[in-house]
Amino acid sequence: MVEEKIKARCPRCGKLIHWEGNPYRPFCSQRCKLIDLGKWIDEKYRLPSEELPSGDEEREEEM
Amino acid sequence: MGEMTKSLEEIYDARQIKVLDGLTAVRKRPSMYIGNTGIEGLHHLVEELVDNSIDESLAGYCTKIEVIIHLDNSVTVKDNGRGIPVDIHQLEKKPAVEVVLTKLHSGGKFDKKSYKVSGGLHGVGLSVVNALSEYLELEIKRDGKVYFQRYEKGQRKTPLQIVGKTKKTGTKIKFKPDPEIFGDLEFSYELLSQRLRELSFLNKGITITIEDERNDKNNQFFYKGGIISFVEYLNRNKNCIHLKPIYFEGEKNDTYIEVALQYNDSYKETIFTFANSINTHEGGTHLVGFKSALTRTINTYAANNNLLKDLKEGLSGEDVREGLVGVISVRLPDPQFEGQTKTKLGNSEIKGYVETLTNEKLGGFFEEHPTVARKILSKVIDAARARVAARKARELARKKGGMDSTLLPGKLADCQERDPAHSELYIVEGDSAGGSAKQGRDRKYQAILPLKGKILNVEKARFDKMLSNDEIKTIITALGVGINQDEVDVSKIRYHKIIIMTDADVDGSHIRTLLLTFFYRQMVGVIERGYLYIAQPPLYRIRVGKEDVYLKDEEELNRFLLERAMEKVELELKGARTRLGGKRLLDILNKLSRFDYYLRRLERRGYPREAIKVLLRQEVSLPEDFGDKGRLMFVHKALRAEGMEVGDIATDEEHNLYEFSLQGKINGRRVERKINKELIDSVEYRNVQALYRSIAGLETPPFIIYYKGGQHRIESKVELLQYITNIGKEGLYIQRYKGLGEMNPEQLWETTMNPERRSLLQVRVEDAVVADEIFTILMGDQVEERRRFIEKNALQVENLDI
Repeated sequence: MVEEKIKARCPRCGKLIHWEGNPYRPFCSQRCKLIDLGKWIDEKYRLPSEELPSGDEEREEEM
Repeated sequence: MGEMTKSLEEIYDARQIKVLDGLTAVRKRPSMYIGNTGIEGLHHLVEELVDNSIDESLAGYCTKIEVIIHLDNSVTVKDNGRGIPVDIHQLEKKPAVEVVLTKLHSGGKFDKKSYKVSGGLHGVGLSVVNALSEYLELEIKRDGKVYFQRYEKGQRKTPLQIVGKTKKTGTKIKFKPDPEIFGDLEFSYELLSQRLRELSFLNKGITITIEDERNDKNNQFFYKGGIISFVEYLNRNKNCIHLKPIYFEGEKNDTYIEVALQYNDSYKETIFTFANSINTHEGGTHLVGFKSALTRTINTYAANNNLLKDLKEGLSGEDVREGLVGVISVRLPDPQFEGQTKTKLGNSEIKGYVETLTNEKLGGFFEEHPTVARKILSKVIDAARARVAARKARELARKKGGMDSTLLPGKLADCQERDPAHSELYIVEGDSAGGSAKQGRDRKYQAILPLKGKILNVEKARFDKMLSNDEIKTIITALGVGINQDEVDVSKIRYHKIIIMTDADVDGSHIRTLLLTFFYRQMVGVIERGYLYIAQPPLYRIRVGKEDVYLKDEEELNRFLLERAMEKVELELKGARTRLGGKRLLDILNKLSRFDYYLRRLERRGYPREAIKVLLRQEVSLPEDFGDKGRLMFVHKALRAEGMEVGDIATDEEHNLYEFSLQGKINGRRVERKINKELIDSVEYRNVQALYRSIAGLETPPFIIYYKGGQHRIESKVELLQYITNIGKEGLYIQRYKGLGEMNPEQLWETTMNPERRSLLQVRVEDAVVADEIFTILMGDQVEERRRFIEKNALQVENLDI
């Protein structure tokens, strides 16, 4: 299948990973996957935006 | 040195052997003395003898201990210590050795003057071994003589007798455990080896040998490094984070403490603790003191070096002990053992001693070895991050929706269909798009989840977009898959088509990148099963009379316009007397149009159009062309002749080829670009090159266009294309969509959501790998890299389109 050809690196530590049989793919380990998940939850992943925040957006956060 | 020269204090003889108890009770209740009569109890007997020899070594009189397991499972333990005293005990009126072997709680170690520190098994001593043996024979070399005596079941069978002469000293005891007491009489070579190795680590410089006559196995343990060697031994198959174990020692009030520790990259904690060479399996005050100091020292170091920015709560004990291999050994005058198996050190003052020493020495080590300290800190902080992340993931699963985690998020407009195979979920970003999608969908099988990327002001004029953790939570619940540290179970997913639908602008593409990356990293199963798609809303709407035509992108638009113009124009090529029209003209113009399109893309990346044309004329087409320096010289010269600024030809080490630089421009700003294999391999160049050949038929200008009865002279290919495209635009209304929100519900349905007409891109894992790479560049700490990315944004966004 497709997966066998996949050559990927752990998005966190950069190690080449095994795809097949690795429950934490695309990460090398549970550790790296978990730390990445933590960053999503902490809203650490951000991309530059061209929009300005609108007023009601702030209000919605409050709710 | 004769006895006469020693002070009374130092004399080790019968006067110092005190009698504490009788022996008979031991055979009645052996478990009280050796824990149990199983396999541990059996091996305890050997340990007891060895411990006595170790005591001699601690006192400085013994360097070698031998243990032999005989064929009949009897065991000999032999040392080269001073030999047990044989003179007559003043109180008991018999040889001291006899007292030691027949009276419970007797022995040198009850007198602090004889042994400063003492191991022994809680002082039960040789008498217990004797009491539980079918027979016990001892041989003592002392004062130039060899003494012998035999016991059976603790009873003296022969008087202590002199059997020979010797210059050596030492004690040799052979015993056979009593089958009336022990069920299993088989000694384990492995078990004994393990304990003997431990003892040799703990008593550096002592040699311990073991020999098994039953199968000729033997081993010798000798470790100069002491507990440092112990730590190295425990880490022998591990990847260590720092090269050498950290070691420190110290003495407080007659208590000697040494600690060795080294971190490996595993998550396991391995700490061995000893008190007077006894393995304190249950820990105790020395361990408590060490742990508390370790946590404190590491937290202090982290705080002082500002390493805890995103970890307000600090590092926990588990964090700082993850991957730790440590050995703590203390020697103290009066060890008290507690706990189930009497292997827990109880002396309360030891906690403070170990704590103070560790704080001081480990703190000092970190200051002196910042590189090692950083490595350990990095490992420990990762542990803390993972711990915090695991907790937050659990909280996320619980939060909102509250008691019922299966409750669907309020934002979700679900579909009626319950079979996942026939259900679709549109994840829609954009202000009004969510509303249009809700109205335009087929609610039978299409669900809509509107997303609003959260925007944050990072600097004065810079804003960042992200998925808020509420939105992540919303996606997870809407999909019906859990999320946690283990593999995500995709089998319960509620939709077999999850379609990301975002605006065609930069922000839209960033949200798409975020979503793709999130799915790839945390729910890759969704992509592997082919459940993830990208919607392709049109970029243009064209009104022709009363009809609407929707076109996906610029390329489609150009083709449409050219096709339309073909009906009205003819082209005369200079020289060739024929006029081109219809299909043939369209074909050639399409190629020209695509040629121009790719040239413009290269231009946007900073490669001047003229430079590319020189490369094409020079027929640079294969990576091998960059292996031929002579050939490259020609290209180099030709570029210079066109007025290009080119750098010297240099080696391209990564590919073992040659390359050179070229000054280009992006938005008027000078940039340096490389002319090398990578350029030739790019999709743009390969297309440009292929098209260049097929439009070669289009001769050089001028061109004559016949249109509406008139003739128009055109001076260049670019102009030609523009002229004809403009003819195609006549009478059309062209709308370029900036966002999904500009479409009304019907339009959105017709173009993007109606399964009959829409085209969806299925995301494959390989695509997601690329998206993740782009994401990683975007997330990079380097501001420079990020800025460069934004400059080339258009290009990267197109890469994302797959």
